[in-house]
Amino acid sequence: MAENDPSGDAAPKSIGADLIIPVSAIVFTIYYISTIIDMKWEAQVSAFLVGGILLVLCAIFILKTLLQVRSGKATLTFDDIVDPVSAIPKRFMLFGLTLSYIIFVPYGGFTIVTFVFLALSMLVLSEWQHKRFIIMLSGLLALGGYFLFIVLFKRRFPEGPFETFAKPIIQSLTGG
Amino acid sequence: MDLDLAFFTELFADTFFNYWWVILPSIFLGIIVGAIPGFSAANTIIILLPLTLAMGEEMGLIFMVALYCSSRLGAGIPAILVNIPGTAGAAATPLDGYPLTQKGMGPQALSISFVSSNIGGLLTTIMVLFTMQYIIELVYVLHSVEMIVIMLFGISLIATIAAKDTLKGLIAGFFGLMIGYIGADVIYETPRGTFGFLELYDKVPLIPALVGLFAISEAFLIIERQSILSKAGQEKMKNSTWADTFEGANIALKRWWHIVWTSQIGLIIGVIPGAGAAIASFVAYQQSKTWSKTPELYGTGHYEGLIAPESANNGVTAGALVPLLVIGIPGGATAAIMLVVLQYHGTTVGPDLFIDKPELAYGVFIAMLLTYLLMLPAGFPLARYMSRVTMVPTRYVAPIIIAFTLVGSFVPRGYVFDMNVALVFGIIGYIARKTDYHVAAILIGVILGPMLENFFIIALRMSKGDVTTIFSSRLGNVLWVCLVISFCIPYLQEWLKSRKAARDALHKGEEAE
Repeated sequence: MAENDPSGDAAPKSIGADLIIPVSAIVFTIYYISTIIDMKWEAQVSAFLVGGILLVLCAIFILKTLLQVRSGKATLTFDDIVDPVSAIPKRFMLFGLTLSYIIFVPYGGFTIVTFVFLALSMLVLSEWQHKRFIIMLSGLLALGGYFLFIVLFKRRFPEGPFETFAKPIIQSLTGG
Repeated sequence: MDLDLAFFTELFADTFFNYWWVILPSIFLGIIVGAIPGFSAANTIIILLPLTLAMGEEMGLIFMVALYCSSRLGAGIPAILVNIPGTAGAAATPLDGYPLTQKGMGPQALSISFVSSNIGGLLTTIMVLFTMQYIIELVYVLHSVEMIVIMLFGISLIATIAAKDTLKGLIAGFFGLMIGYIGADVIYETPRGTFGFLELYDKVPLIPALVGLFAISEAFLIIERQSILSKAGQEKMKNSTWADTFEGANIALKRWWHIVWTSQIGLIIGVIPGAGAAIASFVAYQQSKTWSKTPELYGTGHYEGLIAPESANNGVTAGALVPLLVIGIPGGATAAIMLVVLQYHGTTVGPDLFIDKPELAYGVFIAMLLTYLLMLPAGFPLARYMSRVTMVPTRYVAPIIIAFTLVGSFVPRGYVFDMNVALVFGIIGYIARKTDYHVAAILIGVILGPMLENFFIIALRMSKGDVTTIFSSRLGNVLWVCLVISFCIPYLQEWLKSRKAARDALHKGEEAE
């Protein structure tokens, strides 16, 4: 972020991260166009039009950014994405847990994996404080989710040992 | 049978006394399912279809109508409180709703949303009741060429919402459009840009995209601070009272004219099959900002920026039922399910329905009217107490958002793949938010991409490949002119404002001399 220094000159802005979206857009557009290159023109024209405009817009943006860097008004660093630095470990741990949630939920089922994910994420984010409260809250939320979504709304959620165990009990209670 | 005031009054009284007990629980169910991403009214009606069919024709329709209207209202609640729209129709709601919450004005924001939604829904329902035969003619005059311009109206919003940096807004929007083009093409069914994933042949699933761009990215952002609210917002929220809730209602009522005209945008777009609430709410937001005296305040918690999308997406509900009942073309997913229920009971929709069974045809709209009337008192306690959610520390809120919205993205198709799609969109959304590319602009692109391509291809096919066909219709050309004017107005306003400021400065200088 640009901050004013005592001399009155503005510090160069960090704009490296601003290029992530345009560069991704260029890469994706080129890939997309490569997949339609052999198609009839009717099926190409709309994508060529939108893709062409997107490539021009990205080119203008990249040029504008490079000119800013050249004039010393900006630097190609990634501070915008990284800041605040203190949150980086939590961010990475939460991302890892989210990825694990997606990987394990088809095998462990909604209720158990949601309980484990909620408990671990909340413990990490609260720096391993309020353990008992967090475990109780996670259990309540996972069970609440099970009753609301699976039992009441009858949604086809990923099933695991808990759902398999609870199904006959619920069926005998509800008569279904 | 005379369709006079006495007929409608009698129908209203009959529906209220016979079916209030169906409408009330449906309202609460609708608000809950609307508030959970992935749980649309259509999904819920499908789950409860055996119950709906067992209810009988009239009661089943009333149940579906009440659920449909209330789910629209419910979708705005998480959009305002935690920046996560419950459905794509509420995607424009957080643009100004969430900044209001961050200022500690959650109860006011929810009240504004409820009042705008209810009045917008009520007005458009009454409009439909009395002008049905004229509105339906819209369906016949709008063809692919006109639809291309209407889609472009939606895209023009990209520039409007990205007021800080139009170039970034346009890149985000066009990137979204390209993502929206992923999938098999409509003519030759050839996969394009799918990275080899079979699950993407049916286009990018909208709910996972919505969940990722808004919910997952938001969860990763909010862990950087202790609370969703600012310091001042926390103080304000702690001391909030019923007066704050009613203040929101007062704010909305004072802007009654804004509710009236933005809800009409919803009605008109709702009548067009396939257009839907997402386009209606974005177009209403864009038009609201274009004609506002304070466009620079949009995106910072502007009351009118919240009123416009909420009244428009409720205006869609009545509009979407018009083509269903008059010509048998459902205006959306929920309307399509209603058609199935009507057919199950042996009822043929079309103009004859209004002659043979006027109680049923008009009764649908009377039930809608009743739902909106009953929903308003139910909404105020929700506004008062649901806004307390924002007081919960982010260390608890963020994991809950991730777990429940990820599973929500699994619900519509039942693919684990869709949870991965949500995560990828979460990463895109996180980077976009951190670097000031508007996530709503990406979402507009993803929503409009397939529609724009379809209408473009239809127009080209019908004109045998002549691209100038997009300027071949008189109505289309009028819409093109409106579109250009709509693009120019913000710049014109800006120019007039700077000219006035320069003139004032000159005037002051002369006075000082």
